[in-house]
Amino acid sequence: MTILAIVLGVAVAAGAVLLVAWPFLREPVAADDRLDAPTAREARWLELLDERDRALGALKELEFDHRTGKIGDEDYGSQIGPLRRSAAVALRAIDRYRDEMTALDVPDLPSEPVPPPDEGTPPTPAPVPEPYPPPDEADIPAPAPQE
Amino acid sequence: MADLGRAALVVSLGLLVYALVGGSVAAVTNRRRLAISARNALFCAFGSTAIASTVLAVALIRHDFSFTYVAAHTNRTLSTPYALSAFWGGQEGSLLLWLLVLTGYGALAVALNRTLLRDLTVWVVPVLAGIGTFFAFVLVAVASPFDTQTAPLDGAGLTPSLQNPYMVAHPPMLYLGYVGLAIPFAFAAGAMLSGRTDERWIVATRRWTLAAWMFLGFGQLLGAHWAYVEVGWGGYYAWDPVENAALMPWLAATAFLHSVMVQERKGMLKVWNMVLVALAFELSIFGTFLTRSGVVNSIHSFAKSPIGSWFLAFVVISSLFSLGLIMWRLPLLKARTKLESALSREAAFLYNNLLLVALCLTILWGVLFPIITQLVKGETRTIGRPYYDFFLRTFGLPLLLLMGIGPLIAWRKTSFRALAKTLAWPGAVTVACGIALIAFGAGSSHPGLIAYTFSAFVLSTIVLEVVRGTRATGSLTALISRNRRRYGGYVVHAAIVLLAIGIAGSSAYGSSTERRLTPGQSVSIAGYTLTLRDIVQRQVPNATETRALLDVKGGWSGTISSGDNQYINPPEPSREVGLKTNWLRAEDLYVIADSVNPKTKVVYVKVLVKPLVNLIWVAGFVFVLGSLIALWPDAREQRRLVTRLAPARAT
Repeated sequence: MTILAIVLGVAVAAGAVLLVAWPFLREPVAADDRLDAPTAREARWLELLDERDRALGALKELEFDHRTGKIGDEDYGSQIGPLRRSAAVALRAIDRYRDEMTALDVPDLPSEPVPPPDEGTPPTPAPVPEPYPPPDEADIPAPAPQE
Repeated sequence: MADLGRAALVVSLGLLVYALVGGSVAAVTNRRRLAISARNALFCAFGSTAIASTVLAVALIRHDFSFTYVAAHTNRTLSTPYALSAFWGGQEGSLLLWLLVLTGYGALAVALNRTLLRDLTVWVVPVLAGIGTFFAFVLVAVASPFDTQTAPLDGAGLTPSLQNPYMVAHPPMLYLGYVGLAIPFAFAAGAMLSGRTDERWIVATRRWTLAAWMFLGFGQLLGAHWAYVEVGWGGYYAWDPVENAALMPWLAATAFLHSVMVQERKGMLKVWNMVLVALAFELSIFGTFLTRSGVVNSIHSFAKSPIGSWFLAFVVISSLFSLGLIMWRLPLLKARTKLESALSREAAFLYNNLLLVALCLTILWGVLFPIITQLVKGETRTIGRPYYDFFLRTFGLPLLLLMGIGPLIAWRKTSFRALAKTLAWPGAVTVACGIALIAFGAGSSHPGLIAYTFSAFVLSTIVLEVVRGTRATGSLTALISRNRRRYGGYVVHAAIVLLAIGIAGSSAYGSSTERRLTPGQSVSIAGYTLTLRDIVQRQVPNATETRALLDVKGGWSGTISSGDNQYINPPEPSREVGLKTNWLRAEDLYVIADSVNPKTKVVYVKVLVKPLVNLIWVAGFVFVLGSLIALWPDAREQRRLVTRLAPARAT
């Protein structure tokens, strides 16, 4: 039994060593051994998508709260404008950033995914209604520094 | 085979040390192959720990008493399920289970997130490996389950009270909960170490946190039911330090589950969430320290052992590590927005958090006070039930009320007028319910009456929410499937309401009486009359059973038996209570027979009638149902996350 245990123990240890060493055995000399962390551009893109999702999510939440009677017409009227505006700012920031990257001949950014699911209406971007002025330039997030 | 188990544990320790050191070096120096190698080491550590666990499980099933652990916790009369449950019935085995669950959870969480959160998982690996290293070290150097001896003819056996189906499930559930809290902690630490403190770590670990929280909550209810039917003192929760040790991280995790919603939607409470996730994890380790150190006297704790000081050191070091990380990353954890109104959903979450954390900390103080007093003054002090009951009422009742109000408040801000309009129906139901309760005599206990009326309020708000939501979306299934987290949460709220009603009913409106009985004598309580018919004794394998047989008339008619078992191996007594459930009233007739003497035919009985107590156990299943709804994978959300980083190359 002890011999079997030793054999099995050695086999377990050898298997573990092989798996742990595998990245080095597979690529003894790596062309690029740096960690594949998101680039500054990718990180910025994700940030913009997060902002867009948050803004659209807030809009849908408000719509749902209004339809379920948690918020009155007056409160709804006072909140919908700023929220739509921030959603529009977020959407424009995404478009602008994509245009800038295209102009700089940067490879394609990840495709724009569908916003988070929620109750109520399908996730269509809300248009900016007339009574609300277009966003100031200052409201649009600045593009990320180039690498 | 003990050698194989020992060798597998040594390999696990080596792999975890490598994953800790190699993973840290890889993350700091940005080296890809080393990071993958460290990650593989974590995966392999799970494999070798699984081998060690299999060795122990096989030894338990085969009654291999050459293992000291097997001989100390089982004997030949134990059936296979109970022999297997001895895996977590003793100190060393439960530590091995902890390491197995930790490495298994860790490997799975890292594998699932290695692409989406590749910048974080590089740091998560060494954090998880650090926690695993501690447990593997304790198992290898301090408390090995693979110590051997010359095999005795039979083992010492499993404590009789642990030979209960609930004890087969309760400890593993708690471990799945305790250890599960290490995953959000590791990802939170990874987020801070990597400087990526956005919401991705929360999204990635949301289901892990929910699952751990569900296991911890359900595990506690299983333990409460075990105490109720097996320990035989008539209650289900004694505010025992070790019971509290499981409740505290659950409360912290509950606060965290609520406050992360504010961070996801508003970018607020980032520091608070980091503190909560660290608190939940540290409390789970602290609970293990309490159970294993022998510093507290509890039926749940293991014997005094040297591993307590190791755990204390680990709690201190990991707390300092967490605190240091949060302080270091404070600039990155600034809130993006501010609280717009004190009357908003996010403010309600904040109030809920304050109450939950206050309750958690008062319980912690109740646990720590006797230990500190003992250390400083050398005096033995205990914190009794009145202390905990007072704070449970002080923080628990407002929490119950808030559970009803919170979902009715809109995000950002709402006006008093809109809130009053929304509250009209639930308010009317609550008042009507309160009046009806007083009319039916529930006014005899103020806390009970408040708990019942608040429960009615919460239930009516849940119904209102579901009805209005269904009306808005057109279908109940569409409503729930589009926001499983919210509606799963409401089901969990309903479970908490059932729990509150069960606790209030059984404690505030329960009745009890004690009497010395001889055959033919009766005792009456709450509409039941119990007459002692006889006292009998019989021999069964490994025990002598002594029972008082009581004929019951009134709310239920039949015979109920209660007494004790005197086990031969191990030579310990076990109280066997008599229990009859009236499911229509969710009520229990509970009989404890003491000093049952078959010669003199004298017995001292304590009879309790516990109204609505069974709602507590029903609440457990509703709680699991709600949690499962909330954590059920959302294909659309997953697609969205995958699409975002589709072009990214996996490490």
